[in-house]
Amino acid sequence: MDIRLARAEDFVGMQQANLVNLPENYHIRLWIYHIVTWPQLSYVVEDSKGRIIGYVLAKIEEESEDKTADIHGHINSISVLRGYRRLGLAKKLMLLSQEAMASVYKAQYVSLHVRETNKAAIGLYRDTLGFEVAEVEKGYYADGEDAYMMRLKLESEP
Amino acid sequence: MSKRGTTPNRFLPPKESSLFKELLSLYETKQLKKGLKTADQILKKYPEHGETLCMKGLVLVHMGRREEGIELVRKGIRMDLASHIVWHVFGLIQKGEKKYEDALKSYTQALRFDKIGQENMNLLRDVAQLQTQLRLYDGLVETRYMLLRLRPTARQNWIALAVAYHLSGNLAEAKKVLVEYEKTLKNVPHYDVEHSEMLLYHVRVLEELEQHSEALALLDVSAKDRAIVDKTAIMEVRARLLSKLKSDEAEHAWKVLVEHNPECYDYYKGYMSNQGLNIDENPAEALAILREFSTQFPKANVPRRLSLSLASGEEFQALAEPYVLSALKKGIPSLFVDVKSLYTDPAKLKSFEDIAESIRKDTSPDTSVASSSVSTEPTTYLWSLYFLAQHYSYLSQYAKALELLDLALAHTPTLPELYTCRARTLKRAGDFHGASRAMEDARLLDGQDRFLNTKSAKYRMRAGLIDEASALLGLFTKKDASSPGADLEEMQSLFYLLEEGDAHRRAGRLNLALKKYAAVQRVFDDYEDDQYDFHGYSLRKFTVNIYLNVLDWEDHLRSHPSYIKAALAASRIYVDIFDDPKLASGNVDGDATDAEKKAKKKAKKAQKEKEDAAKKAAAAAPTTSTNEDKGLDVPYKDDDPDGMKLLSTPEPLELAWKLLQPLTTLAQNNIEVLIAIYDVAIRRRKYLQAAQALARARALDSEYPDLHVRIVHARHFVSILPEPIPPPVGPIFIETLGKILSEDVSLETYNSQFLQNHPTSAQTILAAAQTSRVLGAPLQEVEDLIFTTLRDEVQLDVKTALEISSFLKKIKSSRVNELHQALDAKFTLSTAFKTPDELAKLREWVLTTNSNSSSERTGNGAAPMENEAELGKEAGESV
Repeated sequence: MDIRLARAEDFVGMQQANLVNLPENYHIRLWIYHIVTWPQLSYVVEDSKGRIIGYVLAKIEEESEDKTADIHGHINSISVLRGYRRLGLAKKLMLLSQEAMASVYKAQYVSLHVRETNKAAIGLYRDTLGFEVAEVEKGYYADGEDAYMMRLKLESEP
Repeated sequence: MSKRGTTPNRFLPPKESSLFKELLSLYETKQLKKGLKTADQILKKYPEHGETLCMKGLVLVHMGRREEGIELVRKGIRMDLASHIVWHVFGLIQKGEKKYEDALKSYTQALRFDKIGQENMNLLRDVAQLQTQLRLYDGLVETRYMLLRLRPTARQNWIALAVAYHLSGNLAEAKKVLVEYEKTLKNVPHYDVEHSEMLLYHVRVLEELEQHSEALALLDVSAKDRAIVDKTAIMEVRARLLSKLKSDEAEHAWKVLVEHNPECYDYYKGYMSNQGLNIDENPAEALAILREFSTQFPKANVPRRLSLSLASGEEFQALAEPYVLSALKKGIPSLFVDVKSLYTDPAKLKSFEDIAESIRKDTSPDTSVASSSVSTEPTTYLWSLYFLAQHYSYLSQYAKALELLDLALAHTPTLPELYTCRARTLKRAGDFHGASRAMEDARLLDGQDRFLNTKSAKYRMRAGLIDEASALLGLFTKKDASSPGADLEEMQSLFYLLEEGDAHRRAGRLNLALKKYAAVQRVFDDYEDDQYDFHGYSLRKFTVNIYLNVLDWEDHLRSHPSYIKAALAASRIYVDIFDDPKLASGNVDGDATDAEKKAKKKAKKAQKEKEDAAKKAAAAAPTTSTNEDKGLDVPYKDDDPDGMKLLSTPEPLELAWKLLQPLTTLAQNNIEVLIAIYDVAIRRRKYLQAAQALARARALDSEYPDLHVRIVHARHFVSILPEPIPPPVGPIFIETLGKILSEDVSLETYNSQFLQNHPTSAQTILAAAQTSRVLGAPLQEVEDLIFTTLRDEVQLDVKTALEISSFLKKIKSSRVNELHQALDAKFTLSTAFKTPDELAKLREWVLTTNSNSSSERTGNGAAPMENEAELGKEAGESV
């Protein structure tokens, strides 16, 4: 398994991996948009045949009206195909993206949304990576499920 | 050029003239309703005012009243052919229709008539985007140059010019522009990501110019000043440059990268190639280095896995044992897929089998604990069974694999992987129904998991259960979509489109198959169109390196396996229709199954609903006159819901060629593509294309069975032409063919020689039979040859057997049932050759276990994504 920065030739692989794996899906345009805007933040896992089996898609929130508000990173989507679990891939993807958020953009913290019933993911974010639930967003998902908005403070660069 | 108001048609008195200005600004801010009112106010007095007519038309198109709008635009142009506004409006409309060449012509026209000439920045910017989309890089340089001259204070204009030079192949000028640009900067901003990206682009230009020292110097000083802030990029570019400069520091630089991300292959490769190590030539030294890295990063997988590729003999054994054991102890499900690529080496294959068998024995509950040398963790036993089942399944030892899975399931009945492995094994053995049922068993263990849902749907499609597959897919698609398939198509799901297309094709519903393949083609068209806005956007964001990468990806877009699959499958159908036009008429309805009738009815209903909705909307539009901006892009309209128009096309070969054409440059090394190109080219009488495809395919694999059929076909085709092909094409074609197969050899002899060369290959026998058919051999002779594939000494698998069965059907043999009976007896596990009655029962059986699970999902859809709008925001059109 090869973990590396996402490139343009990964767009389709990332999109298709997301489509077979997660309920929230996006047009190619959105994948291109994120990676072209924040090319340092998204990573992929590739198998020996060059197939994308995991990815993290991330962005920076800086367009806040309140100029004093903290610049922060946000994880748009992360997934690892079922057959490639227990290798710690999701954790490695998250750490690489978080590090880039802090070092390139001076992001103060990183946030993400997770389904409140997704125990495995919450376990990774909270227990392994140190995220905390910042708030509950009622009916965030299209099927009405609530989302936890989780946050992790990022270490600032020396 | 003319001044505003001097042309009689364009004259407006002050009141209307100011209304027109208002109209322009209302359009720019997309206040469509007000804009429409304003336009009508002007037209009331001056109904033939061309520019107003065009603007009104444009507003109407934005409001979704496309036809009406376009009519007005055309009328407006006729009224005032020398106005830059009317041509600009027309260009916008054409761009929305994705007619980029036409749009560029209109824009060029607009620029000619613009009285302030090139000062119209918007026009020029649009022209630049169109030129990029069309890859007209020389023109792009000119346009970007004009833009920079007009506004040198805009930073992006400098970068845009450098990029244009770069794309046109003039790196030296690109560098000059960047240097000039940097001189204009007063205070170099620190920690500015945009500036950082620009500098990284500058470094790249220097690297591509092979000015490595200069590149390194710029990188280092910018990194030190914190002007380049992307640490990963700094490390990567630095290591690469140091290696190219053969610097002593390079080794350390690569090491730093490995430390930064020990799971990245490229970093190890870079480290080793910097040491002058070729992995294949110096495996011992490479292994020593990897061993060091393994010690330093004990958790990293890459050095351990890479070592397995390089080592052999005892050393391999010593590395493989702990690799397998630790993975089985941890219960890593991907172990088999991970090591499978090493199976090309039979010794390694045997090693893995021995290691896993030994672990299985040691951990088996039947083995006494005392004799066990490794941990007796019960899950290790389970995962060793899982590994071995995959191993034997891969080696086509299906019974053994299934037996192991039974053991594993008795141990742990709740692990979905065991069912997915059983499903894959049964599928390989040709039991598509049992496979589907096993995959559904896996899904039922975790109804929330979309991956398992996708798999189960796929396996249902493989078993011909299309509607039932759709029902599963619907658990995760948007509830307001007209069908699960419609949502998946809308979301650009390539897996779905290909699987359903293939399922229809297997069932003989060629119209619906073509429909899905056409949808794949459309997804790729959209992928291509979607780059348009980024030609402006990326430059505003200064993310040039990734943008250049995007352009390159777009240029190779259709080399994607999904596109190739769809293009091949569709072109084969088109060729079949050309050869046998009856396929396109009558036949389809005659053979209609319940599922098809249902699908047709459903499609019709969906279409009617759509049309009704559209009518409703159209009816509502003029009265409510919403302000909602529907944009200029033509919405996709499906006027062929059941694919009958595709199937009954009068020019199947042209449609096939349209699909294959991009592959002539993008997939030159794919023998299946070359054969498809031959099939279409020879029928289109494009002889040189046909000969070239054959010659190229032969260079790839001269013994390829499908190629053999074509070589004979080509020679035979020429021999029965009533008139020889005229020069210059004819002689070249004959000469090329002669090089492939000497004219002295009779085709019958050539065919029997081919057969004799590989007498036990079912693929060869099939190809020889197809060739005989091409040469006009009697049906009975062809059939007899086909039936020799049933002999014990012939290696036949289910996949080839299915191809043989379709060939017999294609030549209208009366012995299809006889063949199926024999095949059914031969492949005891397979359900592929059952009778229709048996199949009906099997379908029922597959679905019996699928009771509604309580853990089903209830519905879904995409979560909001806030930022995308920003892209269109800045890129919005204005006149």
